[in-house]
Amino acid sequence: MEALDLELDAGELELPAEPMHLNMGPSHPAMHGTVRIVLELSGETIVKADVQIGYLHRGFEKMCERGTWAQVFPYVDRLNYVSPMLNNVGYALAVEKLCGLSVPDRCQWYRMALGELARISDHLTCDGAMAMELGAFTPFLWFVKAREMVWDILEEETGARLTHSFGRIGGMAEPPTPDFKGLCRAGLPKILDLVEEGERMLLRNRIFLDRLENVGAISRADAIALGWTGPCLRATGVPYDIRKAHPYLKYDEVDFDVPVGTKGDTLDRFLVRLGEIRQSKRIIEQVLERMPDEGPLNCDDPRVVLPDKMAVYTTIEATIQHFKLIMEGARVPSGEVYSYTEGGNGELGYYLVSDGSGTPYRVRIRPPCFQITGGLSKILEGRMLSDIVPTFGSLNMIGGECDH
Amino acid sequence: MPTFKLDGKAIPFEAGDTIIRAAYKHGIEIPHYCWHPGLSAPANCRMCLVEILPKPGQRPLTLDILALDPQSGEYTVKQKPKLQPACYIAAAEGMEVAANSSEHVRQARHDVQEYLLLNHPVDCPICDQSGECKLQDYWLEYQKTPKRMTDEPVHKPKAVVFGPTIVYDAERCVMCTRCIRFMSEVAKDPVLDMRERGNLNEIVVAPGRELDGHYTFMTEHVCPVGALTTKDFRFKARVWFLRTAASVCQGCATGCNAHLDYDPRYNKAYRYRPRDNEAVNKYWMCDDGMLTYKEAHDGRIVGASVGGAASSMAKALATARSLFAGVAPASVAIVLSARHSLEDNWAMLHFATVLLGTQNVYFSRRPDGYNDQILIHADKNSNTRGVMQLAPGAKQLRALVDDVGARRITHAIVLGGDAPVDASALATANVVAIAAHEGPLTQIASVVLPATSWAEHAGMYVNAKGLRQTAERALLPLGASRPAYEQIADLAVALGFARPASKLSQIRTQLAAGVGTDPVSRRGSALVV
Repeated sequence: MEALDLELDAGELELPAEPMHLNMGPSHPAMHGTVRIVLELSGETIVKADVQIGYLHRGFEKMCERGTWAQVFPYVDRLNYVSPMLNNVGYALAVEKLCGLSVPDRCQWYRMALGELARISDHLTCDGAMAMELGAFTPFLWFVKAREMVWDILEEETGARLTHSFGRIGGMAEPPTPDFKGLCRAGLPKILDLVEEGERMLLRNRIFLDRLENVGAISRADAIALGWTGPCLRATGVPYDIRKAHPYLKYDEVDFDVPVGTKGDTLDRFLVRLGEIRQSKRIIEQVLERMPDEGPLNCDDPRVVLPDKMAVYTTIEATIQHFKLIMEGARVPSGEVYSYTEGGNGELGYYLVSDGSGTPYRVRIRPPCFQITGGLSKILEGRMLSDIVPTFGSLNMIGGECDH
Repeated sequence: MPTFKLDGKAIPFEAGDTIIRAAYKHGIEIPHYCWHPGLSAPANCRMCLVEILPKPGQRPLTLDILALDPQSGEYTVKQKPKLQPACYIAAAEGMEVAANSSEHVRQARHDVQEYLLLNHPVDCPICDQSGECKLQDYWLEYQKTPKRMTDEPVHKPKAVVFGPTIVYDAERCVMCTRCIRFMSEVAKDPVLDMRERGNLNEIVVAPGRELDGHYTFMTEHVCPVGALTTKDFRFKARVWFLRTAASVCQGCATGCNAHLDYDPRYNKAYRYRPRDNEAVNKYWMCDDGMLTYKEAHDGRIVGASVGGAASSMAKALATARSLFAGVAPASVAIVLSARHSLEDNWAMLHFATVLLGTQNVYFSRRPDGYNDQILIHADKNSNTRGVMQLAPGAKQLRALVDDVGARRITHAIVLGGDAPVDASALATANVVAIAAHEGPLTQIASVVLPATSWAEHAGMYVNAKGLRQTAERALLPLGASRPAYEQIADLAVALGFARPASKLSQIRTQLAAGVGTDPVSRRGSALVV
């Protein structure tokens, strides 16, 4: 380093000011899923923010190449772990696309209902946690109470609150319980009441609004250039929703709107998520009307769907089918496929390659968070230190999804 | 070469080939149970039925059938092509055969498979064949439908002991008669036959006899389902956990090609299966040979010893060094082994002739035993011919016993522990043995260094016909054992020599070049210790 007094003679005295380096995370309560941000601060202003993912790394894609196609379901549960059902359904759709299968209508409606419940839980978690990190603890409890109600329904259906592993190639693990429709019809209004209550507490709060408005804004062009999708993209005003743009399941047969923001700032992202919760409720209500109570849930292709358990115990044909599917895995025709659905945070894509065997040759995911987190430093630079927490929170980065 | 068309694809064939054999040679499998490339074709399983298209202008072979019209619910007379067994019809020039492409063939396969499973027990979870069973494979490929019969299946004898090695389950049997044909055609001992008819069919052993002899294991191997199981492998392992290495049987000088199946989780070998080789063993192996997989674990030397007591490698090498201090090369004997690989023997010979400079080369082997005209060779060593090629002048072990008795030889470095003669007289000499298995020579040795067996390192073996064959590595080295060529290199260093080649690739390069057997490269020097 040069001597400080070198330029003393040259002119007026300037105090030497070096930018301060600050590590935020990876183990920080507000750094969801162990992310590290190396900050270069000038005073309280962020000069540079280096966002480093990779602290949560399980080698998810490599693990998938070890077991059978069906054994990937528990892994995808742990991608976006606040909406595992959406990941399950997305993966099932991808494998079915590769197999050239389509599931019966009843299963399609069921998948939509469960998926939208998962989306509500995803958005509640994101908005609730964001409020909590800004000191608003009560709304957080309200939102999490609502999330508990969603999880109660999911637990009743799947047996698990969080990691359901409920999707199957060619269907779902179990048919809907007889109470499913009743539980949803009773639960959804209560959930929405709680959301509205929490919303009233936050959106009339000057401090909360001031900390969100015009913070972490991104332009449409930048968001598209960065590959943003989902609520974060829609907050900038781009009405791109895969459920509308490239409908899958029965999304083209239900009515719902795509909430969009205007400025692409943190408040817009917060509001878009709240809007989507209401739209998900609308979708679920229509699904409940149209989902048949009877009829086959899974497709009847013996190459991929497990036989009835009683038949496995009593007939050799079903035993063989079970054995082949469990021990060797469903033979997925060789080829490759890219299949994409609207996950909790945007486009959740699966690129699968099969060599025709019972084990995936390659499972590549396109997690929505990865691209979104890639834009974090861009929207942080030039802002204040205290803006990091709400901005980062509003992106809803999920460590499990960013496993790259 | 003449060709015929199978599903529109030209398949070459040799005169006399059946359709199924020509397709098999061409790498296309027509599903079958009873046909086996090494046996006659009885055409009784009906799984290989194909449709042979009529020549232009010729009337097709047809059958009148009653077909149910699903719309009207009425049976109507229809004509259907007469299918023919691909295992029995000889291929002919220009013949057009439809298999996968024929709807009738697909239906026939489905129906045959359904009949075979009609009375089949729900045994997959406890069946040793599960995972490599034709019934399982073909169900998924050709049937894919659940059971339609609701009656109680026919029950037949289970766990019938056929002899000292084989257990039979009549309920699992598909009556392909491969075992019957194997015993009469290959083993020349027609001890098996079939009794009753229809679904009461079962395989039986001739009255007053049991299924014994030297080729009983093969009946289990040719069985396409889990009807015949060997007592040795029964309930021992699940095949989907096993991995396989292309190995060479070490039981005798025939050098049968074999799959050595092992479980990598436990580093344990579980069985041998014959590996098809038309030039050596065709599709077969003998019982004794198939049981030699046990030698991967039985009688293995897994640690160094000095004077019969376990010791560290360092101490064993130090003892060898002091034993050989100041000894003239002329009184040192080198013993090669007819049971170790060419690489091991090359390393030993190179050590003897190039480094040590001794002309006293002997070889050890197992004594001769039973032989027959089918596969079993009297010479019970896998590499006798290889040792003879490497060191044509090597003397029998009996000569070493005499030389030690006459005090012409006082020290010996021995590969392998076998001795065809009484070797106790060698105890008067100072012997360093490098061996994979215990034997008479390791018992009298002052120092024993553990070598890996054929299952733990890749090696080449020359069979009685002079065919040089490679056995792949299956297991990881047991205990402290290491390949003999590495132990020999360490011993050479301990005795004061520069380290000789101790990598498999180096040794193989030199083996290919013939180095080490060249008398010009020999040079003598007193041991410097």
